[in-house]
Amino acid sequence: MATTFPLCADASSLNPDRDKYRFYACLLRARFDENKNEKDMVKATLMLKAGEEEFWTNQHPQPYIFPDSPGGTSYERYECYKVPDWVLDYWHPSEKTMYPDYFSKREQWKKLRMQSWDREVAQLEAETLPGGPRTEALPPARKEGDLPPLWWQDVTRPRERPT
Amino acid sequence: MAARVLQQCVRSFARPSLRLCTRNVAVRATATPAVFIHRPLSFAAESPRTRLFGQSRISVGVFCRQYGDLPPLTLETIKERVMYVLKLYDKINPEKLQTSSHFMKDLGLDSLDQVEIIMAMEDEFGFEIPDAEAEKLMTPEEIVQYIADKKDVYE
Repeated sequence: MATTFPLCADASSLNPDRDKYRFYACLLRARFDENKNEKDMVKATLMLKAGEEEFWTNQHPQPYIFPDSPGGTSYERYECYKVPDWVLDYWHPSEKTMYPDYFSKREQWKKLRMQSWDREVAQLEAETLPGGPRTEALPPARKEGDLPPLWWQDVTRPRERPT
Repeated sequence: MAARVLQQCVRSFARPSLRLCTRNVAVRATATPAVFIHRPLSFAAESPRTRLFGQSRISVGVFCRQYGDLPPLTLETIKERVMYVLKLYDKINPEKLQTSSHFMKDLGLDSLDQVEIIMAMEDEFGFEIPDAEAEKLMTPEEIVQYIADKKDVYE
């Protein structure tokens, strides 16, 4: 299944028009569907390997990369405008009065974060593998009434387009 | 909410002597379609605040390079586009399609079909959805929520 992604992406680079791409995607899909009831795992892995090699030899020289993906045109373009949230603590009080409802609760949120920080760190230390974490994905909260680890970074993250 | 406040903070660092205007936030939050060259006095929007230095109208500048962009997304438009793309898919019956219909259980689709649907969503909205999160999106409702989460629509 993971091989359909690059194959279809390849077909979409070769055929930018939607209807032609759809035609070739359906042909690809038909080829997959012929062999989908294969029960013999050895043969299935051999077919998968052959498919991957065929993709490698026939891939597009300049595949279409989405603008926000690595290698795309607007990748990390707005990174410099994404300000961290601790900057808000340095605002002048006259500026803070412009958002009274947010700043009235901000101290409570920060207190909540101080309280839950030790538990988050303990959960992460308990769940990390000895060699270090393998992925960037964080585990969810395991106990009742606990917050997910490193929730503050996610809640106060800057917008995708800060301007 | 925090990000909109932070945006004000960026502007306050850029021009510490000027007073900021609150009503500009809604204007700046939407992507401006015009393209501005980065000049020291580039004005992104007009400020209704008067009375600064005794002049009738002062614009607050944003020190930021602005590029052309798509119109801003709302939850309703995301939902309409997702349902439109799903109705165009030939293996789905458009009458039976609803926002809460599960691809595998209600509509009887395959995992390969789900991959194709996610790819169509990627092409529609113009950004990549990683595999790990793509295989969990099983209903149109989840797809809408995921896109709204990624694009910060109504936060």
